Amino acid sequence: METNWAAEHLQVIRTLMERSALYRRALAPIMIFNGGVGLVAAVLGWAVGIKSPRAFILYWATVGVIAVARSFLLVRRQALKESEPFWSPPTRRVTQALLPPLVAGFMIGAADFAREGPVLAVSFFGHGPTVIPTVMPWLPLSWVVLYGCAFHAAGFFMPRGMKVFGWAFILGGCALLVAGAADARHPAGCAHAIMGFFFGGLHLAYGVYLYYTEPRGNAP
Amino acid sequence: MNPEPFLQLDRVIHEKGRLAIMSMLAASPELSFTEMRDALNMTDGNLTTHIRTLQEVGYLSVTKSFHNNRPLTTCALTAPGKKAFANYINLLEQILRQNKPQ
Repeated sequence: METNWAAEHLQVIRTLMERSALYRRALAPIMIFNGGVGLVAAVLGWAVGIKSPRAFILYWATVGVIAVARSFLLVRRQALKESEPFWSPPTRRVTQALLPPLVAGFMIGAADFAREGPVLAVSFFGHGPTVIPTVMPWLPLSWVVLYGCAFHAAGFFMPRGMKVFGWAFILGGCALLVAGAADARHPAGCAHAIMGFFFGGLHLAYGVYLYYTEPRGNAP
Repeated sequence: MNPEPFLQLDRVIHEKGRLAIMSMLAASPELSFTEMRDALNMTDGNLTTHIRTLQEVGYLSVTKSFHNNRPLTTCALTAPGKKAFANYINLLEQILRQNKPQ
């Protein structure tokens, strides 16, 4: 009898300690916003015809900065509303978990940008006498996989679904690599489609799911 | 069965609400009043009472400040609070061990 009581107490303590370390800001508005931005940016990038590696990297880096800035403002607004510090211990832990793969993705993009093309990220296809370098889908796929790794790592300090979200990026990116998406016939269109599907569609889908499932207590 | 560990359990921590507060603070350097209230589903009055009790015995420190012109109350475990909590866990584990079927 006493053993059960002690075991239950220890279990309650363990659960509370885990809950205390979790990041609890409402993620639905962030996911929905980023999903919308991703989808619009993919359609726009494809319609405008952004094909060169430099233009592609610069374009999506700008989209990324907009998404991060807006996410930052949404989190800050929630913290203000709850009279809580923005840079709380759970926020610090999540940021630390996200950073390494995101830095790696940034460096891959920066290296390709600096190189302007001929080695890794581009192929050449000729139109008469001119040769136009074009971005290859392996670049967005590497971003997708690294982004998934970042969210999987952050998932240890966030609600459980975040790890599944990370896995969706990792497995989806790897599956497309294995399926040969990197050698697509229309590489630039394929690259925008990959960005739109993963950074737009998946964020939007998860955001809508969270909107209906996560507690509203700390929503903005 | 030796009742000694059970008798040694800290009565201040042993209460359900205060144990929850101590558990949360043991896993985080500090937590705001609202974070604890929402996570533990307590009323403001209930949480304030428990915090005051823990503060009186020196297990918890309370800091009041202003963050963006809004009052911010944060709580953290003190060194005696950490020690008392660790001791409480040790006693629970001792109770479990001594009641384990051989």
